[in-house]
Amino acid sequence: MTDSLLAGALSQCSGDRLRQLAVSDTGFVFDPQTGQSFTVNATGRLVLDCLKRSDGLEEAAQCLAEDCDVPLELALSSVEAFLMQLGRYL
Amino acid sequence: MPENSSPKRPKLAWEPPFIQPHRVGEINKFGRHRPREARVASVFGVDVELLKKNYGSPLFVTSEERLRANVRRIKKAFAVRWGNTCHGWSYKTNYISAVCNILHQEGSLAEVVSAFEYEKARALGVPGEMIIFNGPNKGRAILERAVAEGAQIHLDHLDELNLVEAVAAAQGRKARVALRLNFDTGYSEPWSRFGFNLESGQARQAAKLAAASPHLQLCGLHSHLGTFILEPRAYGEQVKIMCKFMREIESSEDVQIDVIDIGGGLPSMNALQSIYLPPEQVVPSINEYAEVICGTLIEETRYRSHTNRGLPKLVFESGRAVVDDAQVLITSVVGTKRLPDGRAAAVLDAGTNLLFTAYWYNHKVETTGEARGALADTVLFGPLCMNIDVVRQSVQLPPLRAGDSLVVSPVGAYNNSQWMQFIEYRPNVVLVHEDGDVSVIRAAEDLSVMMAQDRLPEHLATPFAPVRGAGCNRFDAEAEKQAKTLRPFRICRG
Repeated sequence: MTDSLLAGALSQCSGDRLRQLAVSDTGFVFDPQTGQSFTVNATGRLVLDCLKRSDGLEEAAQCLAEDCDVPLELALSSVEAFLMQLGRYL
Repeated sequence: MPENSSPKRPKLAWEPPFIQPHRVGEINKFGRHRPREARVASVFGVDVELLKKNYGSPLFVTSEERLRANVRRIKKAFAVRWGNTCHGWSYKTNYISAVCNILHQEGSLAEVVSAFEYEKARALGVPGEMIIFNGPNKGRAILERAVAEGAQIHLDHLDELNLVEAVAAAQGRKARVALRLNFDTGYSEPWSRFGFNLESGQARQAAKLAAASPHLQLCGLHSHLGTFILEPRAYGEQVKIMCKFMREIESSEDVQIDVIDIGGGLPSMNALQSIYLPPEQVVPSINEYAEVICGTLIEETRYRSHTNRGLPKLVFESGRAVVDDAQVLITSVVGTKRLPDGRAAAVLDAGTNLLFTAYWYNHKVETTGEARGALADTVLFGPLCMNIDVVRQSVQLPPLRAGDSLVVSPVGAYNNSQWMQFIEYRPNVVLVHEDGDVSVIRAAEDLSVMMAQDRLPEHLATPFAPVRGAGCNRFDAEAEKQAKTLRPFRICRG
């Protein structure tokens, strides 16, 4: 992923914007700003929780790597891809 | 952090984080329900996981009960409307011997299109006179056998007509033949490469020649419109044209047509990739076809009640409509991945090597486990090292994991005949008997099957042997010594 793309996605997904999202325990996500709703999987919910707490990308990846017992590099690239997705929808 | 300060959180099953927008209220012009996960625990009454455990994965599962019910239903649809009917089982649709013999037990003729298929039917015990011998490539040797055994031979071209006549003359017999016709019904693309063209006059010429021969008995007319014909009126037009031609040649030649063979082409409840609507909405019932076909036949042969000629037998050669939904494929997820465009993907242990029809159908795919989350657009790849090995380009499935079972259906038509011996072994095919027992009807391949037809010339019997001859390969004592160590490279010195 190019840095500029990621930077764009990150700016879209600022902490304030993410904190507006209502996320249920079952993975239902509601965006009150657009009225759009989503389903997020369990790992996505974990990352969303981290990002809403203002954790950075690396912290979220660390959290994901630990909880899923996967290499940090894998978690990091997955979080980046997830952020790109969020950037498209929010 | 001090020990035992807090219990470690339970670990999550790894899956890349993913978010999917809901498409609530999106216009659905096809009148379909929103996709719901299709789950099955058993196929044809037998537990999927038990089948996998006993017979492996992938696994073709065939239902004897469904197969018999299908052919009875189709035959009944025609028989109640036209008393004198007969079904010809199209061997090429599914070669499995048990499948063929179930249909023969139901009274179906064998419709074969090659020497191999003819020999297979005979090996299964089908008498020659119960074989319809079709196809554009019938060699002299197999024709000699077919003529001697009284098979009905459907002529494809003039050279074949001459050959059959010569074979019959040499045997001092009269071969029973039918003319395969091609013509334009206005409904589907004419398959003009098969048989004699009607509009150009070829068919009339062939009929004249056959009628004049002392060694040919022209007893039938045959045509095949195409495949997956979704318009019953196409068959009505076909019957009308064939009956008109029958009347013409019966009045001009000394022939009596006893058989009108309308070929196959009836669709199954499968989803063609080129058609948006689901099969339940586009595939007419078999009764609709039978109504049009038999109705037209009654109308077009009414004149025969004023003559001494009897009514012809109606032969139909449905393959797909008989067998497609009588078989499913159980396959397992080997691994999962997330594609760069965000779509979920899974690699399966069965691909287009087993599911040749995946090239033109969107097969139904059902999961077998517990519900596991929201459906997402998923790509299903097969096991081949080829980019085109895709079982489904897009199907709504829950998150998959390695080891999950999927049931793909319907797969009974053209997969057990067009599957490829390529990269992977072909798996077991089992039959669920009418009493619920399960037995293997085609054993899985192994290395001995794959190598059975190979022949190694003596000088190629050993790999890594020294190579004599020209070019860069110079044989000498040292090279021979090296070769004996079986080192994995070709000896090339000097």
